[in-house]
Amino acid sequence: MIQRFYLPLILIFLLVFQGLAMSLLPANLAYSDLLITPHWVLVILILITVFFDNDDTYYSLLYAILFGLLIDMVYTSILGVYMFTYGIVIYLLHGFKKMLHGNFIVAVLLAVLGLVLTELLLYTIYSFVQVTQMTWEVFLTKRMLPTGIANLLFFLLAYPIIKGKLEKWAANLLSN
Amino acid sequence: MPSFFKKKRLILVLVSFILLVALIGFSLRERSELTWPEKFVHDSVGWIQTIFNQPVQFIQGTYENIQDISKTYEQNEILKSRLSQYKSIMQENQMLKKENEELRSSLDYQDSLTDYDPIDASVIARSSERWFSQMIVNRGEAHGVKRNMAVITGEGMIGKIQSTDKFHSTVRLLSGFGLSNRISAWIWQEDQPIHGLIQGYDEETESLLLKEIDYDAEIKEGEKVVSSGKGGVFPAGLLIGEVTKVEMDQYGLTQTAYVEPAADLYDINQVMIVDRSMPTYDIEQQDEEEEE
Repeated sequence: MIQRFYLPLILIFLLVFQGLAMSLLPANLAYSDLLITPHWVLVILILITVFFDNDDTYYSLLYAILFGLLIDMVYTSILGVYMFTYGIVIYLLHGFKKMLHGNFIVAVLLAVLGLVLTELLLYTIYSFVQVTQMTWEVFLTKRMLPTGIANLLFFLLAYPIIKGKLEKWAANLLSN
Repeated sequence: MPSFFKKKRLILVLVSFILLVALIGFSLRERSELTWPEKFVHDSVGWIQTIFNQPVQFIQGTYENIQDISKTYEQNEILKSRLSQYKSIMQENQMLKKENEELRSSLDYQDSLTDYDPIDASVIARSSERWFSQMIVNRGEAHGVKRNMAVITGEGMIGKIQSTDKFHSTVRLLSGFGLSNRISAWIWQEDQPIHGLIQGYDEETESLLLKEIDYDAEIKEGEKVVSSGKGGVFPAGLLIGEVTKVEMDQYGLTQTAYVEPAADLYDINQVMIVDRSMPTYDIEQQDEEEEE
């Protein structure tokens, strides 16, 4: 019964730590010229899509919309952008996952795809409302590439820790 | 049957897109206050962040203390030599203050634009989205924080309050200032301060743009820029930064100075929120009163 609260708790924890990391990490690491943005919530959402959800459950999508909105509220002053981006990306990944088998390679591929899509969508929307005036080239080299690599590292770190647990919780959910 | 699902999916995408546009439109409006769900979420997340922040700050603090102790002897020597200088400056300062007060009272001019009450706050988190230069501090409406107040560190101004919640507030840093966030500022010169408006931030040079300066004003690099206290709720005399470059604008009518912020905008732990003693003339409020 209590297991149903594990996922939201993990996600809240990561949401909180995304902001803490930016203020607690040494400034020259967190604020170099490279605009590395943590997408830890998204990374866990992708893992939930691949290893927790089956074809007919949409927990990941629900959490994507909910925690996207929370990120919007807490860390940006414009509502809806993260909510929309995370929602669409997780929905697409959920669709792709139906065609593929849930293993390590697939998970990595989906993570890369998800991160790239997220960054592209965020850039498009934010440049549309003039939050950023970056040009495409600068965005690709200074924002998307470093952010993608940094979050992929987090993915590789989280994968062995959380994969087994997600599968176990999913099995428990089915048996109940 | 499949066509039904496709249609449903299309409607879903359309609805979510409309929702996105509506939400963006809603938040881009000039809002004087946040909605209560936003305040609730901000405060709840703020509390959790405070809990996690405490032990980390403690460890960081201990580490810094140990580093400091190893340098104590050297620092002590230097400080001793400076102390004697400070004594004479302090005396002079007190004399000037007294004189100033006397002159003020003779002029019936009580409050000064430079007077302010600081509200101490610590930074509990920063935006994880790098395109937003904002951070969360642990003081809010309950402590007397209001929108648009200036936020400073010991080194100088770092930003202003963007929105307040009951117990936390969001600070917009100087690096996130756009055209709509203006500060009236002076370039400090001995005879006569030069007036200008800070409008926007140049990411390439990492400096603020001080615009609307008279075309014939002579500005040198390295001159200090301080807030003038005119317009808005900032007190006068807060250090903003130093001039690094001066340019004529494209029509030659005004000059633009590039101002490098004096304070470090990245490594911030403790801040002061500045509450100007002099009452603020609130245009919005006045409009409402006139309507009534």
